[in-house]
Amino acid sequence: MTARWTLRLGGHDLPDRALIGGKAWSIARMAALGLPVPPAFVITTRACAAAQEGAFPEGLAEEIAEGMAWLEAQTGRRFGTGPAPLLVSVRSGAPVSMPGMMDTILNMGICEATEGALAAETGDAAFARDTHRRFWDLYAHIVLKSGIDGFDPGGTPATWAQALAAAGGAMPPAPGDRLHAAIRAVFDSWNSRRAKRYRQHHGIADDLGTAVTVQAMVFGNLSDTSGTGVMFSRNPITGERVPYGEYLPRAQGEDVVSGKFTPRPLAAMPETVPEAYHTLLAAAERLEQDSDDVQDIEFTVQNGWLYLLQSRAAKRAPAAAVRIAVEMVREGRISPATALGHVTPDQVRTVLAPRLPEATAAAAAVLAQGEAACPGIGIGVVVTDTDEAERLAATGADVILARATTSPEDLHGMIVAKAVITEQGGSTSHAAVVSRALGVACVVGCGLGQVTALAGQTVTVDGATGRIYRGALAALVPDELNDADLSMLRGWAEAASPVTVLPFGTDVPGLVDLNAAEGGEDPANLPRLLTGATAATGGALSTEAGMAAALAAGVRTITGTPSLPLLVAAARAARQTRETRT
Amino acid sequence: MKDPQLALHGLAIKKHGDAAEVAAITGLDPARVQALLDEAVAAERVVKAGAKYMLQPVAQIALRTAYSRDCAAERANPVMAEGYAAFEKINEHLKQLITDWQTLPVGGSRIPNDHSDEAYDARIIDRLGALHDRAEPMLDRLASGLPRLAIYKDHLRAALEKAEDGEIAWVSDARIASYHTVWFELHEDLIRVLGRQRIE
Repeated sequence: MTARWTLRLGGHDLPDRALIGGKAWSIARMAALGLPVPPAFVITTRACAAAQEGAFPEGLAEEIAEGMAWLEAQTGRRFGTGPAPLLVSVRSGAPVSMPGMMDTILNMGICEATEGALAAETGDAAFARDTHRRFWDLYAHIVLKSGIDGFDPGGTPATWAQALAAAGGAMPPAPGDRLHAAIRAVFDSWNSRRAKRYRQHHGIADDLGTAVTVQAMVFGNLSDTSGTGVMFSRNPITGERVPYGEYLPRAQGEDVVSGKFTPRPLAAMPETVPEAYHTLLAAAERLEQDSDDVQDIEFTVQNGWLYLLQSRAAKRAPAAAVRIAVEMVREGRISPATALGHVTPDQVRTVLAPRLPEATAAAAAVLAQGEAACPGIGIGVVVTDTDEAERLAATGADVILARATTSPEDLHGMIVAKAVITEQGGSTSHAAVVSRALGVACVVGCGLGQVTALAGQTVTVDGATGRIYRGALAALVPDELNDADLSMLRGWAEAASPVTVLPFGTDVPGLVDLNAAEGGEDPANLPRLLTGATAATGGALSTEAGMAAALAAGVRTITGTPSLPLLVAAARAARQTRETRT
Repeated sequence: MKDPQLALHGLAIKKHGDAAEVAAITGLDPARVQALLDEAVAAERVVKAGAKYMLQPVAQIALRTAYSRDCAAERANPVMAEGYAAFEKINEHLKQLITDWQTLPVGGSRIPNDHSDEAYDARIIDRLGALHDRAEPMLDRLASGLPRLAIYKDHLRAALEKAEDGEIAWVSDARIASYHTVWFELHEDLIRVLGRQRIE
């Protein structure tokens, strides 16, 4: 029988993304590159479109059963029974990502019988129980929408069932029924309030449908030659071209998050699984080549065999973004135009932001230290009263707002402060969150009485390290002209930029100063404010949207310091405009 | 709470607010708020600068008395206590979500999110929508005990939908009625009405 509703992933053909969705497509892409991925099949978007009204289209249940049998054959494990139980993940995957879609269900296939089998197989009864509970958490939350925030980790399946019954829910006994219910929940999420609104707003057809990927789960805790980890094809903090990451021998993915184990550096991996390590390095190289960008790869090793779970463009620190982009051009891997696409104006601005030279910081007296909450250097007089801070700042003084904690009542003082420092609270406290929104340097949690005691003193706050120093220290402003990587980036940006950037304060005839114009900070107002202008200056120009508006208005000269963020914004905006036109 | 106290309460939450902002948060008529706040200015309980008002310390003290007198019913109502407990629970998730919104995990540490990765932002706005779905029953419960609180649900929904439609400032920008701003104002409102302490 030919499959109408499902597709098995693997082989060298890449199926249509519209049919299998983004997540299945990225698994298929890795498989097509010859890389090892856990076996998976996908229920296509066609099935979702045909399944509206809740019921499965004719033949889908049979194809799901065949797909599961194929996964069993591929893995040598059985769904819903021991001695080697097959567990699968169930994921939604629309052709375009959109909000409101069902979250991933993990550990589908675990039940009282298979929990025992898994305990015997891993020799870890606590792990098997925990896996069982995590499945209940996800199923109760996502499929049953029970409102339960999590079951008691110290409980038993019987006590979980009681808690669920009290919330008006029930777990279907058969793993097969649970699988079908999860697939139906994915189909239903296509019609959630958020998904519908999103489609309406973005003009996406309602009959497109979402796919469902069912993938065998692999275990990193089966033996001493099993483990799980994350690797970056280059160091995402410094940008250095060395594999970087963490590996946890004999551990499952969730253990990385739980903090139950201390991860080891990736370099320790060859001690236990040398072949998997070399396969991983080769895979990273292959994925980087294929995507022209640094990769962040999640993987699991099961009994010595490497499986790639996910690969995507890596998030990176601003300094790493610059170094990686430049080095990949030097290696002949990407073009300067692609490199400019890998560095944002904001990243360049951060690299060029003032910081304290190491020697200065080392020689200075540390008055207080807390958690670094928002990077930047703030120098000023410590004020502990918010209204006082606002009053002093209005006279032109630089103030540092010091509070035990902050609340919305302190907002007006935070807006005018050069830095915000608090005694209590961590990186999610009000002070941290609001400072990041305002772009104000911030250090939190310095300890009771530590910062309010500094009232009246002049201090230097380093939001990147969380230290508060005595006196006004000289911050280092990085020199964009004397750094090899930045100069190279500048050369490409200048060649690609349709505008000339001159130092801030250069006298240019007809210059429009957006900083002084009402509404000049909002890119949306720029078309109006820049009508007929050929030269401009202002903070809004260092965003891509602002720069695009300036280019469209015919601006050809811009003044600003440092100039590199502006040049990068101009190069990127020009490319964006060209691509939109073609 | 009677209208004069309610107007002061709204200003205590908004801090530097104009009549329209205080009206929006209390559900009072803007003209009525304007009149009440102008009266308070005459009584030297409030100062006015431009269109914005600010409470004087004496009004803060008067408000604390008003809370314990006028909010006794809410403080004794188990529905409000349950609603507040549910708020605290979801608040932990929201704080984590806002941190994830503002910073990105990079190889074990976090760097500021420059919002250049639309897919990353979209995933967090999706999480915010899921959090809102979970918060709605809690908001309804609180509004069943104190009807004027219903206004927060509308404001939160409005901020969420703007963020979902691509105006990402509506997630956490402190200068507008973003999701985080409104959520924090609700927290402040509940703390004052129910006589609780803020846990940081």
